[in-house]
Amino acid sequence: MLNILSRAVMMCTPLMLGAMAEVYAERTGMMITSIEGIFLMGAFGGFVGTYFTGSIVLGMLIAILCGLVTAALYGGITVYMRQQQIVTGTAINILAAGFCAFFYRVLFGIPTTPLKIATLPKIEIPLLSKIPVIGEVLFDQNILTYFVYLIIPVSYFVLFRTSLGLTLRSTGENPEAVDVAGLNVNRIRFLTVLVAGAFGGLAGSFYTLGYLGMFTSGIIGGRGWIAFAICFLGNWNPKGVVIGTLVFGLADAVSIYIQAVSGGTIFPNELIIALPYILTIILTISRRSFNVPAKLGVPYFKED
Amino acid sequence: MKNNIKDVLIYNVGAVIVGLFISACMLFFLKVNPAEVFAEAFKKIVSDGYTTGEILVKATPLIFTALAFSFTYKANLFNIGAQGQFYAGSIVAVTLSLLLGGVVPTVPLIIILLIAVFIAGGAVGALIGLAKAKCNANEFLVSMMSTYVVAAIMDYLLRTVLRETKGEYLQTDPISKSAYLVNIIPGTRVHLGFIIAVVAAIGVWVLLYKTPLGFRIRAVGCNSNAAELSGIRSSKIYVIAFLISGGLAGIAGLTEVNGVQHMLLQNFNESIGSFGIGIAILANGNPIGVIFAALLFGFMNVMGTTMGRLPGLNIPSSIIDYIEGIVMICVIIAYFLRRYVNTRKDKKLLMKESEK
Repeated sequence: MLNILSRAVMMCTPLMLGAMAEVYAERTGMMITSIEGIFLMGAFGGFVGTYFTGSIVLGMLIAILCGLVTAALYGGITVYMRQQQIVTGTAINILAAGFCAFFYRVLFGIPTTPLKIATLPKIEIPLLSKIPVIGEVLFDQNILTYFVYLIIPVSYFVLFRTSLGLTLRSTGENPEAVDVAGLNVNRIRFLTVLVAGAFGGLAGSFYTLGYLGMFTSGIIGGRGWIAFAICFLGNWNPKGVVIGTLVFGLADAVSIYIQAVSGGTIFPNELIIALPYILTIILTISRRSFNVPAKLGVPYFKED
Repeated sequence: MKNNIKDVLIYNVGAVIVGLFISACMLFFLKVNPAEVFAEAFKKIVSDGYTTGEILVKATPLIFTALAFSFTYKANLFNIGAQGQFYAGSIVAVTLSLLLGGVVPTVPLIIILLIAVFIAGGAVGALIGLAKAKCNANEFLVSMMSTYVVAAIMDYLLRTVLRETKGEYLQTDPISKSAYLVNIIPGTRVHLGFIIAVVAAIGVWVLLYKTPLGFRIRAVGCNSNAAELSGIRSSKIYVIAFLISGGLAGIAGLTEVNGVQHMLLQNFNESIGSFGIGIAILANGNPIGVIFAALLFGFMNVMGTTMGRLPGLNIPSSIIDYIEGIVMICVIIAYFLRRYVNTRKDKKLLMKESEK
């Protein structure tokens, strides 16, 4: 059981990071509908970087770079060219899928056995990891997970306790006011999208560097969308993101547990695969009090 | 209006050409000469009637998924779940074909199937519409998630009830010949489905632009508050738009199961949902334009597979995704450019007038 919980925390890492990226961007009014593509690019960049340089750190940097570039394309089209966010996102997701499959072939040809890289080592935190149950579950993880532990409170502080956070939130609620205050709305949005892209790329790299150690084109398989959904369900708040991700992680862990105990006799495997998606639908439908940023998805036109 | 359509056409054709050019250059990475490869693949497609026909075969389901996206797009709704609705249609099509094939004569069978797949896809769609209308749920998110759920249901059925009698692969038994959609061009795989698709596109155009319901849908799309004030219940429109949209995507299930594969298998036509969105955008949501845009995507699809089959070049067939992604991005940028150029023209005109 501890093993399963520990695994659940691990699987939460990229979702939490991706959802946090989404929170930042959506607070300024930008949905990152290309999150699936950003994840995939991050996973690909991380794999390729690590494979060729032999260093996981460089791999992660390249993953961040891939996320940044993808986000820059998305931001350029949606912020500065003011095109539909959903449509642009779909296009970029298709492009990213094609890009990764194509360049995998360019770089590696058709390998006879799947290429493997070393994964991020687990780091036991002294003292903390000795706490019974909690220690084993929370403090025997890899560095990315610890990074997420750090980023959540920091994000909360930045968004709600600093003037930067106020600016970001105002950009999503009332861009005119931000404009009148002498700030450049589009630049704020674009830069936030870039930050979100960097986070998203790092989150994506978790799938290749954090636990699989290999790359397949279906590696993300809709998990970007789950991060997107967690941001919605978490009410655009880091606290909500933590709760949302834990719900998903726990559901994941429980279903794996049931699966392991019953050997797939109680629930069919497919139900377990579909569970996060069903959960998202149910939660989206049943939640009423949403705190949607007022200008979410609306491009800003400066009158001149 | 006329001028506008011409404008869109010029810009979009330009965008497609630029997109194809950029993707062609990518072939340099594989150390092959793009011009040669394109010419060779093109020659193969044109010279071989079977391969030419494949363009229509590939375009058929894409017309439906693109219509599905266009339809809700007109009501300013986003149905990203055409893939799931297509799966729902496929499941129903294969089940009924297996049950009724050979029992019911072909013509009534196809009519029954057509209605059934429309209902199946429409039911999935209507549920999304209901979630939007009753609970104000984000239709984009719900429709996105519904695809994964329906896909899981399909996998489950393929593993259990619908699994072939041999029990070897995750696929159904082949359906009876009497349930096939008839071939309409000998020597190719082009089937009745293509005609159904064209008729559906024209039908959607008539529905949207020549009927009161279509007017209401477009009114809600333009300004749902204004529509509401003039007595149109937008929540009702949400459900209806999603129902029809889902139904259209469902029909793609019929054309693919009964027209092409003649069985249902795992990961069946995985990406027609997202390509449908690309096509709808390329066609600017116009149902008639969808036919041509789908043919273009069908062509790119066949081009990709043909290039993948060229001996000794090692081009992955996944290059299709790549090409189509780049073309979509170019088209989106073209929409921006068109607007930008037109605004500048208008501004200049205004300046001149004020100088006078």
